[in-house]
Amino acid sequence: MSRQTRVAYAFLAPGLLLFAVYRLYPLLEGLRLSFTNARLGRASEQWIGFANYTRLLEDDRFHVSLWNTAFYTVASTLPILAVPLALALALNRGRLRTLLRSVFFFPFTLSVVTVGLAWLWLLDPVVGPFNYYLRRLGVPARSWLADPQTAMWTIILTTVWWVTGYYLVIYLAGLQDIPRDLYEAAALDGASGWRSFWAITLPLLRPVLLFVVVTHVIGSFQLFGQVFVLTGGGPGDATRTVVQHLYEAAFQNFFQFGAASAMAWVLFAVILAFSVLQFRLLRGHTEY
Amino acid sequence: MDTSDNVVERRSVSRRAFVAGAASVGVAAWARRGAAQPKATITYWNGLTGADGKVMDELIDRFTRETGIRIEQQRLPWADLYAKLQVAVPAGEGPDLALIHTVEVPHFASDGVLEAIDDATTAAKGFRGEDYLPATWQGGTFQGKRYSLPLDVPQHIMYLNVKVMKDAGLVGADGRPRVPGSRDELVTMAKRITKADTFGFAIGTVNPGRYTWGFHNLLWQNGANIYAADLKRAGVTDPAALEVAEFWEALPNQHKVAPPANTNCRDAFIAGRLGMWIAGSWNFSGLREAKVDFVAVPVPRLFKQAVVWAMPHQYSFPKPKGAADRARRDAAWAHVRWMTDNVAEWTLKAGQVSASRKAHADPRITGDPVLRALLAQAPNWQVGQPTPKWVAAENITRPVIEAIYTGQKPAKAAMEDLARQINALPD
Repeated sequence: MSRQTRVAYAFLAPGLLLFAVYRLYPLLEGLRLSFTNARLGRASEQWIGFANYTRLLEDDRFHVSLWNTAFYTVASTLPILAVPLALALALNRGRLRTLLRSVFFFPFTLSVVTVGLAWLWLLDPVVGPFNYYLRRLGVPARSWLADPQTAMWTIILTTVWWVTGYYLVIYLAGLQDIPRDLYEAAALDGASGWRSFWAITLPLLRPVLLFVVVTHVIGSFQLFGQVFVLTGGGPGDATRTVVQHLYEAAFQNFFQFGAASAMAWVLFAVILAFSVLQFRLLRGHTEY
Repeated sequence: MDTSDNVVERRSVSRRAFVAGAASVGVAAWARRGAAQPKATITYWNGLTGADGKVMDELIDRFTRETGIRIEQQRLPWADLYAKLQVAVPAGEGPDLALIHTVEVPHFASDGVLEAIDDATTAAKGFRGEDYLPATWQGGTFQGKRYSLPLDVPQHIMYLNVKVMKDAGLVGADGRPRVPGSRDELVTMAKRITKADTFGFAIGTVNPGRYTWGFHNLLWQNGANIYAADLKRAGVTDPAALEVAEFWEALPNQHKVAPPANTNCRDAFIAGRLGMWIAGSWNFSGLREAKVDFVAVPVPRLFKQAVVWAMPHQYSFPKPKGAADRARRDAAWAHVRWMTDNVAEWTLKAGQVSASRKAHADPRITGDPVLRALLAQAPNWQVGQPTPKWVAAENITRPVIEAIYTGQKPAKAAMEDLARQINALPD
């Protein structure tokens, strides 16, 4: 090993050590726990093989949670991709762009609990302003978060409102990187704005789109905060997600660390599979 | 420099007197050293995150001024507090004192999180069962051993919105709202109140659909419970429990008198959109602050018996990793004793009726109409079943009763599903 390599490792060592202690060890310990009947408070734990995993096959609520999480992920991806992109295109130039960027970014500076509580009040079926104005317009009020038909869509809507500013900034950075002369050449060739968008903007934004999709999908599979505050997984189990199910098993329903660890590893496998799939589908380069 | 007198004096001191004198000087010095030492500082965890937390702060300040014992509080939402206790105590990082709910006692005791309190210690500190209301005193025990001492009794009560009731013509000649005497009467009155965005009746504070404590209250009124009497199998498929579940389903769906599942009932009551409301006693000070014209009455008998849901707060001593620090443990006991002796202040300011009977005759308490109503229903208090699985079963119950309330699942199928889940809880 050369001196340069040794120095590099020396500099990396603190980071690697922290990674090993706070990431790798809990990950592996979680894997070990998933094969035991570990429960906080139980004097000893026993090795039970794949019992926690096979139990998940029979756990209806886990299946519902998995389905809800997948639904949220798929249903929210298009608006998460499209809304910030549309705003980024609109705010890429113009006199008020700096102000408007700040305005759109503002919701993302709020914590998920703040966002959740604010929307909870706005959407309250009896005293919330949203339903009040609907009634004034002659539209019957709805219990948006307590109706299984609308609860998940409402969570998606509030999430889009919350994170749009974040993705907007990323898109804007991507748009700034696209050489202006490409648009000028396209204009000289008589290309319309729409044609330029499809032929130049979108292909050159591909790496940014990949980043947005991958991070959003990973984040979606870990959906918890919004659901916890807005619906608690309800009505019934209509918005229950995997992470909520896991959290309840681990910290509310008897501290079943073994069972919860098995859920976490199943979730990890699903996220990994989706991420690999996305990289395969979306990778590739556009050269001009 | 010696004087001759001193010399004479010194000569006159016998050996025995010298030893006695030296001993007394030593004792005095030791005593002074003890007095100069600061009193213990103890850690105290609780979940008093509402207005009652400020009252606790005031009382603790007074306690510190009077005793010299300092208390470092850690205050976090109850659910987080319990998770933290479960993790921190086995690691030796628990507090000296923790305030918990009665239903948490069985599982914490069973998991070795709480220290058992022997009868001799309880008696020596001046705590006697006969000074307390039975449901609260009994709630501090698990399998014959005591693990906690009750402080107060958060419980249900029925709030009646005077304006809403008056608008519906549901007041007597004296202007006071009528009180429903039965389930049928409640529904009839609630139907008279309900119109557009105003609802007749709700049970629960911020999310009536998943308000397990309200569901428990109705179960207990009908003689049913979450677990059967043996505490081993679920009891929620009993006919009495099914009857309650059907009533739960009917309130918003068939009778259409209850607000949607995720309504903030407290805000609706304050805004004059709710007429009759069964909810926690902890809401009444907020209603007074909001200047709502309301009357509080004991929870009416809607099923077989006029049982009232209660969940006393209990003082507990989390188990230290090694031997308990004597000074800190004594200081924790001193605080429990002090709060018990000053519990009338707590009741008056925090609005929580004390578990000990001593303060119940205080004229300041009996003179308050809400506190008087709370005390009037004391014989009907009931608490959760003494099983370590109670809290887990409660968490499982929440989405199931919401599915019933929102009409997603028929009551019978939902209760069968609930029984299956409760029976599958690990030992």
